[in-house]
Amino acid sequence: ITSRYPLYQLGNPQLRIFRPNWFLTLVRPGKEQPPDTVQFRIPMEMTKYDVKNYLEKIYDVPVGAIRTRIQFGSNKKRNHLHQKVKQPDYKVAYVQLAQGQTFTFPDIFPEKELKHEEGSMEEMQEKFMEDEKQRQRLDPRRGGVTEWFGL
Amino acid sequence: MNINLILGIFILKGWDWVGREKSPLAALSWRSPSSSVAPCRALHTTISRRGLDEFFDLPENWGETTVKSGAPWTAKQLRTKSNEDLHKLWYVLLKEKNLLLTLEQEAKRQRVPMSSPERIRKVERSMIRLETVVNERESALRMLQTGQEKARPGAWRRDKFGHVYWYRFKEYAIPWYMNRRYKRKSFFTPKFVQPHIRLRLEKYLRQRARKTSLERRTQSKLKEKFPHANISAS
Repeated sequence: ITSRYPLYQLGNPQLRIFRPNWFLTLVRPGKEQPPDTVQFRIPMEMTKYDVKNYLEKIYDVPVGAIRTRIQFGSNKKRNHLHQKVKQPDYKVAYVQLAQGQTFTFPDIFPEKELKHEEGSMEEMQEKFMEDEKQRQRLDPRRGGVTEWFGL
Repeated sequence: MNINLILGIFILKGWDWVGREKSPLAALSWRSPSSSVAPCRALHTTISRRGLDEFFDLPENWGETTVKSGAPWTAKQLRTKSNEDLHKLWYVLLKEKNLLLTLEQEAKRQRVPMSSPERIRKVERSMIRLETVVNERESALRMLQTGQEKARPGAWRRDKFGHVYWYRFKEYAIPWYMNRRYKRKSFFTPKFVQPHIRLRLEKYLRQRARKTSLERRTQSKLKEKFPHANISAS
């Protein structure tokens, strides 16, 4: 919403933003970070104070120190027309939580067993594939010895 | 100079986003709170990391290929809501979008397809519509109170090439006659640009005439071939 902030002169009221249009992305750190550090990708227009207020007011997260840097998106790769393709730049914020809190990035994509419903097409296909594989396998009593050896 | 931006929010505590069975998208369980949906998430007793847990979905949804979500909010539905409700809804949508963006990034990192990516588009559309509704209300209020249509003042001005455009004023600390950079801008068309304007106008009129004559020619040809056919409305 704020492409240009209104001019500030001494005595003006504190600038407030209602309905901020900024979105934070929590990312898994590439390098090992201390246990209380959370890594975010933030829009370029945000400052450290913005991020601090954002997290404290909207997410109720006590924020200690915060550091930001701008990651340059590479302009090296070329497309099929030999034109340079720019990856967008983004700002990264390293937020250290106050009050001794720690944070570890959870595993959001755990391995899950796919259970098909009873009597469905997929279930029958799975069963068929299982039977086929069973027929291909050798006799377990041979103990892993191949058919090359007679008897 | 760092500007301290303090966010003005209504207190969200009473309306907090605990039971995530209600998605911020309308029409799934929003309208029928009595119907039993997925069980409410149990409160965990660890150190209150609750704040950062709002960046992630319910643990049951981790690893799913599709997650159910409702339709986006329409402008018509949003116009029935009060200002406070819209304000709260904005933050709900904001948090949901943050959640989805973290999920997207993590999916890219783990090289796994993201579950139901259309949710991001739905949330974006809802937010855009919310913003239009709020702007409508604001502009109506401003019209009634001050008689101004636009929030930011401006004027119709000519540029050097003869184009007339809406110039939006910028805020300065000094008046315009003391502003050197502003005085270097010229909002008038010099006399020697008149031939160029004339040629441009002729080109435009020629293109328009060509278009209309083309349409007329195609219509007459079609009428010749198919005399009983209806004339299309285009």
